[in-house]
Amino acid sequence: MQPESPRGGSPSLPSRLAGPAVSLALLAIILAIASFFAGDYLQRILIIIGINTILVVSLNLSNGFTGVFSLGHVGFMAIGAYTAAVLTLPVSLKVVNLPSLPHWLQQLALPFLPATLIAGLLAMLVAFLVGLSLMRLKGAYISVATLGFLVIVQVILVNWDQVTRGARTFAGVPPHSTLWNVWIWAVVAVYIVWRLGASAFGRDMRAARDNEVAALSLGISVLRSRLLAFCLSAFLTGVAGSLWAHFITSFSPKSFYFTQAFNIITMLVIGGLGSVSGSVIGVFFITVLSELLRNAERGFDLGVFRLPPIYGASQILMAVLFVLVIVFRPAGLLGGREIDVRAILRRLGAPRRGKGAA
Amino acid sequence: MKTRLAIVLVAAVALLAAGCGGKGGGNAIKIGMLYNMTGAQASLDAPSANGAKLAAKELNAAGGVLGKKIELVAFDGKTDAATIGNSATQLAQTDKVVAMFGFSDSDMTMAAAPIAAKAGVVFVTSGATSPKLPDQVPEYLYLACFGDNVQAAAAAEYSVNALQAKSVYLLIDKGMEYTLLLGKYFKERFVELGGKVVLEDNYQTGDKDFSAQLTKLKGLKAKPDLLFISSGPDDVGTIVKQVRDSGLTQPIMGGDGYDTPLLVEVAGAGAENVYFTTHSLIDADLGTDAVKKFITAYQAEYKNAPENAFAGLGYDTVKLLADAIKRAGSADPKAIRTALQATKGLAGVTGEISYQEGSRIPQKGVTVILVKDGKFTLAQEVVPQKVPTP
Repeated sequence: MQPESPRGGSPSLPSRLAGPAVSLALLAIILAIASFFAGDYLQRILIIIGINTILVVSLNLSNGFTGVFSLGHVGFMAIGAYTAAVLTLPVSLKVVNLPSLPHWLQQLALPFLPATLIAGLLAMLVAFLVGLSLMRLKGAYISVATLGFLVIVQVILVNWDQVTRGARTFAGVPPHSTLWNVWIWAVVAVYIVWRLGASAFGRDMRAARDNEVAALSLGISVLRSRLLAFCLSAFLTGVAGSLWAHFITSFSPKSFYFTQAFNIITMLVIGGLGSVSGSVIGVFFITVLSELLRNAERGFDLGVFRLPPIYGASQILMAVLFVLVIVFRPAGLLGGREIDVRAILRRLGAPRRGKGAA
Repeated sequence: MKTRLAIVLVAAVALLAAGCGGKGGGNAIKIGMLYNMTGAQASLDAPSANGAKLAAKELNAAGGVLGKKIELVAFDGKTDAATIGNSATQLAQTDKVVAMFGFSDSDMTMAAAPIAAKAGVVFVTSGATSPKLPDQVPEYLYLACFGDNVQAAAAAEYSVNALQAKSVYLLIDKGMEYTLLLGKYFKERFVELGGKVVLEDNYQTGDKDFSAQLTKLKGLKAKPDLLFISSGPDDVGTIVKQVRDSGLTQPIMGGDGYDTPLLVEVAGAGAENVYFTTHSLIDADLGTDAVKKFITAYQAEYKNAPENAFAGLGYDTVKLLADAIKRAGSADPKAIRTALQATKGLAGVTGEISYQEGSRIPQKGVTVILVKDGKFTLAQEVVPQKVPTP
């Protein structure tokens, strides 16, 4: 997807690649084991983690690196989901479910990959048009404006009956998302964001975030670096939307609104803004924990007596946990730093074992 | 710090693995129950879940089914599609349930039913009334309630025959599949019976101000005999109140979205002369004998009267599945499906359930309710003569 850009750096190339290579190998092993031995349930959770990883890592590119705190990224997810779903829906279903679709679109059923790419590109195009004006705003104004964008997307989805079925359920999307294609995209997303963050562009973005005036005085185009981050981030979010649509297979506009927006932002903030490995940890932490609590709240045997189910307890516990994290680690679990896989490898002595960042 | 993190991660994964390890059920028939106990759907789903649990308790007290106890394995769907998908997968894979049921909403049902179908077990929705649902999940998705085409046809026939309505004004919430379909089916049957639509207008779920629509309505030269307002439970009180405050006194007609205490609480005296179709009149004085018995049992179990007809639907759904298992003679999912399809004349709180050959929507009567002196009263039980195709 992204050509490896060889740059002269102090550590030798093999040494620089050791961290990513170990992480990738570890991930591949986990996925291989999961796809052969784990049941549907664990596979589903891994797929959800993969999709959330793309969403959060790409949001991090905008919110963490450039400081443009977007609340509207779910709008791009919606654009991606609906675009890809309209493209991949089998023709027989389109005739029934979307009778007023333009003829050429109705007779078109694309494979998953091109549909996903088009979905991402369309999200990116929208981001570019919206970003041209929005990226000139500052701080809280950007957040409010992006929230406005989310509302606009929502209204369009609900009212554009011919293409989206309005507020009605968009059903019958083929279940194309698998453990493998989701995680390949997740790796691509992490790689792009990680490399971009470490590049000159990434430094421009952070400079513009930390001190706009100073950045401008050094000749950094704040608008350009923000717009680049915003568009790329929208592309990946659109891709994640497509993956999500082909995983859930039936959805409606309300799936892409405030609840989902805040879910993603929570994972980002808990993991730590500005850190790619933090995003991954945040996704892992929250997805796994909320699954655990969801199972626990149904009540269980303590040997002596049976704890009754307390529905809603998991949401309350999660909220309390978030408050605790924010109080004790205000910058998130990783506080904007990255997990240095190489350092861990060195400390462990044996370069074959280690816990990867992604 | 990092080792600690690793330990926490490993522990979490271990717990998760333990969480999906099966619990040996032994001598019980496991049925999966999926309702949204939290989130936007809870006001309909929580009473359904209570009704279902009550039915299981009664069945077990009477010796169970086929000599085994009925065990309801429940998850909270949290009004979230991903959570519902996970829960349905757990039910199918870990708990190995022989059937699943739940939900009062098409979206939620569509998040779970395909997973049940993949595992080869039926999914019976207790309260999602879209007649388009069964086509979306071939063979395995059943409705325990009537379809919207049936209740809309009943509303249209009652309007023409009993209320002598010749013209109607339609106001439709275009934010929900349910309200859109209900309005569409009503119009179809009403026009078929010779009625006239003077104006069709719409609004969006959650709107608070209806003055624009009402100004248009009052400006009409030909005054409609009836106002058909297709609305969900959250908006119905507000709309009815504003319609009455604007001075319009015609009868208002609606669907089972009106079956909420909010109607009278919010609209107050404005709710008089409001008619709506629903599954059953849950009233200790005016209901049928089955309803009275159900209310007494529910009151004893939960210390409050059933909140709405959805409690009765949850109750009937468990009885429906138990009846199918009994007639199947085994808890084999395939045999249950065959027996369920053959259900004939099963009496319940919300009416008799029969499935016709090839249809997975039951033939059920519709209860038309009139609000009188702030109380729901029975207007008529209607079995529509003709039903629009889904």
